[in-house]
Amino acid sequence: MKNSLLKKSALASIAIAVTLVCGSAAAEMKIVSKGMGGEVNPPLAPLPPIPEVMDNKNTPEKIELGKILFFDPRIGGDASVSCASCHDPAQGWAWAEDFSRGYPGTVHWRNSQTVVNSQYMKKQFWAGGASSGMNQARSAAKGGVAGNGEDDLMEVRLALIPEYKKRFKDVFGDEWPLIRNVWRAMASFETTLISDNTPLDAYLKGDKSALSDQQKKGMKLFNGKANCIECHNGPLATDERYYNIGVPTAGRWDEDGMAQITFRFEQYAKGVTEDMYRHIKDDAGFYYRSKNKWDKGKFRTPNLRYTAYTAPYMHNGAFYTMEEVVDFYNRGGVDEDGNTTSFPQNKSKLIKPLGLSDDEKEDLLAFLEAFSGDEIEIEKPELPDYAPLFTKAELMEAKK
Amino acid sequence: MSQKLIKRGRLMMAVTGLSLAIVATTGLAADTDIGPLPKLKTDLLKAELGKRLFFDKRISGDAGISCSTCHDPEHGFSHPDALSPGYPGNKHFRNSPSLINVSHKKTWMHDGRIGTNLNDATREMITEDYTMNMDMRIMQERTKQDPEYVRMFKEAGYGEPSNGSIRKAIPEFMKTLTSRGAPFDTGKMSRSAKRGQKVFEGKGGCTACHNGANFNDDKAHNTGVPENFDVFLDPMRHQAFLAWGLFLGIENLYAQKRDPGAHIQTHKADGSDMGKFMTPSLRELSYTAPYMHNGMIKTLEDVVDFYNEGGGQDSHKSELMKPLNLSSKEQKDLVSFLKALSGDRLEGQEFVWDQAYPAEYAPIANWRKVRN
Repeated sequence: MKNSLLKKSALASIAIAVTLVCGSAAAEMKIVSKGMGGEVNPPLAPLPPIPEVMDNKNTPEKIELGKILFFDPRIGGDASVSCASCHDPAQGWAWAEDFSRGYPGTVHWRNSQTVVNSQYMKKQFWAGGASSGMNQARSAAKGGVAGNGEDDLMEVRLALIPEYKKRFKDVFGDEWPLIRNVWRAMASFETTLISDNTPLDAYLKGDKSALSDQQKKGMKLFNGKANCIECHNGPLATDERYYNIGVPTAGRWDEDGMAQITFRFEQYAKGVTEDMYRHIKDDAGFYYRSKNKWDKGKFRTPNLRYTAYTAPYMHNGAFYTMEEVVDFYNRGGVDEDGNTTSFPQNKSKLIKPLGLSDDEKEDLLAFLEAFSGDEIEIEKPELPDYAPLFTKAELMEAKK
Repeated sequence: MSQKLIKRGRLMMAVTGLSLAIVATTGLAADTDIGPLPKLKTDLLKAELGKRLFFDKRISGDAGISCSTCHDPEHGFSHPDALSPGYPGNKHFRNSPSLINVSHKKTWMHDGRIGTNLNDATREMITEDYTMNMDMRIMQERTKQDPEYVRMFKEAGYGEPSNGSIRKAIPEFMKTLTSRGAPFDTGKMSRSAKRGQKVFEGKGGCTACHNGANFNDDKAHNTGVPENFDVFLDPMRHQAFLAWGLFLGIENLYAQKRDPGAHIQTHKADGSDMGKFMTPSLRELSYTAPYMHNGMIKTLEDVVDFYNEGGGQDSHKSELMKPLNLSSKEQKDLVSFLKALSGDRLEGQEFVWDQAYPAEYAPIANWRKVRN
C-alpha cells in the first residue's frame, strides 16, 4: 500500500516534470491535472483495445452464443424479459426512463446503465456491487426487480433447446449447458459492444479538426474550471470511485406506489438495520456494501462515453438532459428546486459552485457530445426453439 | 420454555387418555377408521385475511397468478386439467391437488416432500420458481402498500403485514376449506353407497391406504399409474420437472423418463422406491377430476376399473395392488360410495374473495415524513 503510494507520487512528479518540459503544447492539451489528494488525474485518452478477461477468454463462438442469450427472455423468471429488455439497443442499450423498467409486476429503483463499453469497468452497478461482467449478468438475471430468474429453471430450459445444447458443448465442453456459463458467454458478447469512434478519440489520436473550437473550449473547462476531470478521467472518463455529488432523492418515490414497494424491498434485501429501514427515504448507494455511514449517498462515477444515447442521467435518472446535469454541477450539486442529497454530511468537497457563464456551459455541453460516436445497432438474433428430449416411442419403451 | 413444554406434555397425556377412553367405549376413534373429520378451530379475522391473499395475484412474482389459479374453487380448489398450469413461462408437471381438507394432512405434495406444516407448504408454493416464483420480501412490501391489507393484518392481530404472517394467514384460510355435508358424514347415503362402503372396507381393500377421517394414510405407494407423457413431451412442462429434479438431487436427471415421485424422500439406490406417490384423500372427488398425481384417469368409474384390474404396470408396484374381481354392480356401488364422500360445494363469500383488488398500488401519501 505504502509502496504503491510512493510509486504513484513519484510517477506524478515525473508527469509534472514532463508537462513543464513540454511547455505550451502540453499545457494546451492539459494532459495532467492535480487532484485534491495531490494525486495526478489520468488524462482523458483514446479508448484502448478491451483487455482480455483471463478467466473468460473470448472466442467468436462464445460471443455469438452470448449474443443470443442476451436477447433470450428464457434467461429470467417468467420468460418474458431478457437482458435486452432493460438494456435496449434502441434506448442506448439502457432504459430511457429515470428508473429502469423492472420484472413484470415491479419497477427497478435505479437507472439502467448502458452496456456499451461496460466491460471496461471494474466496478459494475451504481454501487459497484459486481466486480465483473459475468457477475453483473448473474445478479441482474436473478434479482427480484430485474430478471427474477432462478438457476434451476434457467439452466434446465437450456437443456431443452437443442441449439443451445450444441453451442454450449462446443464452447464450454460440457454435455449439458450450465447456468454459470451463461454469464460467461453474455460477458463475452458484451465486450464487443464498444464505442470508440468518437470525435474525442479522433482528437486525442491527433486529428485536431475532430473537435470544433467550441468543443476545444469545452475541453479546457472540463479539465480546468469545471474540474470534471477530477473524477471523469482516463480513457473511460471515470475513476470508478465512490462520491456523493448531491443528487437529490427521486421525486418518483413520492408519487409512485410500485416504486415505493421496491424502495422498501431494497432496504430489506440489502440488510440495513430496522431503524434505517423505517426512516430512510433515499438510496444510500455504496453504504449498502460498506455499511460505513460516511458512504451514504455515494455512487461509483459513471463513464461519460455514449451518453448522447443514454439519457436520463445519474443513478436515479434525476436529469433528463445534459443541460440539467451541467446546471446541477454549476450550482454546486443542487437541482433547480434547490434540492440536494439526503446525506449532505457526505457530500464531496469537490462539488462546489463552478461559476460557469452561459457561454461556458454551452462550450462544456458541446464537448460532452464528443464522448459519443455512432449509435451501436444490432440485428437481433433469432431465438432457438425448445424441443422435447424424447420421442413418444422412447417414452413408451422405457421400463417402469 | 421448558415450563411450556412440560405443560404441553401433560396436556397431551390428558388428551391421549381421553381418546383412549372414547375408543374403549365407542370403538370409533382409532386412527385408521374412516369417519367424520374433526372440526378445526379457526380465527375468523386471520382466515378472512388469508382468503384475500389466496385470491390475490400480487402474491406471485410477476403478479400473473394467484393460489386460486391452480386451486380453483370451481373445481374443489383443484384444477380441471390433467397437469396444473404452473407459473407463466412454464407449465407444471403434476395434477393440482384439491386443497379441501388440506389442513387434515400431515404430509404435503404428491411426492410428500413437505412433512412439517402448512406454513412450509405455503412457502414452497409461493417461492418455488415453477409455481409462483415470488421473492417473499417483495411480497411483504406489496402487502404493506395496500391499505386494506394494513388494516386486515392489524385487526387480525398480526401487526403490520409481513411475509411471516402471510404464511400463517393463508393456512388459516385453508383450515376453513373443510368438507361439510357429505352424505357419508350426514348419514344420508344411498343404498348403493352403503353397499359401496362395504366393498370399500372389505373386498376392495381400499382402507389399506385410504383410511382415517381424511381417507389417507399419509404414506407413499406405487399403484402403477401410467406416466403422463406430456410431462416429457412438452418442454414447458418438462422444464418444471427438471427444475424440481435438479433441486431435489435426482441422479441422471436428463435421462429420466418417469416421475420418481416419493423417491426424493428415501433415495433408495436400487430404485425400488421409484414411482411412489402419496395417498390422496378421497373426499370431494366429485369436484376434482381428473385423478391421480398426473391426472391420467378421468372419471371415478375409470379409477375403480383401474384398481379392479390390480392397478397399472410397474416393476415396483405395491404388493397391496392385485385384481379385485369386483362385479360390475360392486364397482357401481363403490363409485356411489366415493361420490358420497363429496359434500356441499365450498362456494360464495365464505370461501371465495369476490371483491376487486386495487388496479394499481396507490402511493403512500406524505411518503418522506411517514415511517416505512
